[in-house]
Amino acid sequence: MKKCNLENMIGDYLFDRLDETQKEKFEEHYFNCPQCFEKMEQTDEMITVIKANGSEIFRDVYAPQKTRRSRLESVLAFLTPRQWTMAAVSAALILVVAIGVIPNFIKTTSPEFFINDDLVRGSSIALISPVIDNLDQVPSEFRWQSVGNKTEYKLFIYHQEELLWTTTTMDNFVTLSENIKSLMAPSKKYSWQVKAFSAEGTLIAVSSRVQFCFVTSK
Amino acid sequence: MEKRNKDLDLDAIVAKYRPVVSFRVKKSIGVRTPDWEDVVNEIMINVVEKLKKDEFRGDSSIGTFIYTITSRRIIDFIRKKSKVLKYAPEPNPYLSPQEHVENRERAQWIADSIEKLNPKYKEVLYLYYYQELSRDEVAKKLNISSRRVSERVNYAQKLLRKVMKE
Repeated sequence: MKKCNLENMIGDYLFDRLDETQKEKFEEHYFNCPQCFEKMEQTDEMITVIKANGSEIFRDVYAPQKTRRSRLESVLAFLTPRQWTMAAVSAALILVVAIGVIPNFIKTTSPEFFINDDLVRGSSIALISPVIDNLDQVPSEFRWQSVGNKTEYKLFIYHQEELLWTTTTMDNFVTLSENIKSLMAPSKKYSWQVKAFSAEGTLIAVSSRVQFCFVTSK
Repeated sequence: MEKRNKDLDLDAIVAKYRPVVSFRVKKSIGVRTPDWEDVVNEIMINVVEKLKKDEFRGDSSIGTFIYTITSRRIIDFIRKKSKVLKYAPEPNPYLSPQEHVENRERAQWIADSIEKLNPKYKEVLYLYYYQELSRDEVAKKLNISSRRVSERVNYAQKLLRKVMKE
């Protein structure tokens, strides 16, 4: 396939990142360049697949092993080896007493959640609003419980199983613009979900997916 | 000049440009606007009429000629719609003109092919297309140059294109 110098505008065009002039230039171009049009159709199809099945496709990118090890290392670095020995001895003593006193010793494991195929170690995000199913109008704000500083949240709004809109924020809420609201129609089933990412971009928490629908679109 | 228009194979033109016009219309007014198909039909009828009336003078390419007709019709449509709707329909942020990949098996096949890619390429696709970061943001995150990002995205797509063409 021939290389075309406008070809690298495809992604930006599909994501609406071009300014008006560039956009028109590229549009006129693909009316004249079958190669670019074909590539754009393929890119669009690929993005559609990625958007619909991303959590599955990128499962390994979501939950890298690296962060777990570094967390363990930082815990180990908290005390010197000698202090660790002392701590271990005292812990053993306490354990003996504890087992003697409480026969049904409860094992503690790190919490694990399975939500939409994303395996997440850590906490879950509690969604605050909207959490009731029947609203009287389009929700203008989505709010959830903060899980700490320097966390980036990604809000996902779905129409049935399809991703309708997504955005990222450092706050624990998102206010919808009129444009986004106009994408939603009354009495259809929508759901929303929030994912939290650390400053390094690692997925650290996921909320459950909460459904909502509304009656009028005033 | 007049001969030129009569020599044009109208069926071939319609067959060739219909997908292009459809893509442009869906991208502009949104696939969720149920009228998009009517708009495409109107444009194609208009193109054929104009060609029959010898209105294509050949001072631009036929592609540009059809592009101009398409753009005018879309602007018209949005203007009329925004009077009624208050807000013009806007396909934001990512609403694919394709809406959904028709064949489920094909979608799964493409998904599997992406999953099997070298992590180096997969990571770039994840950040660039899934998280919708800009080239510069991806570059910063991976600590490579923006040009490198483009190269990787292009290469990954080249590999996938082979699969998708089959």
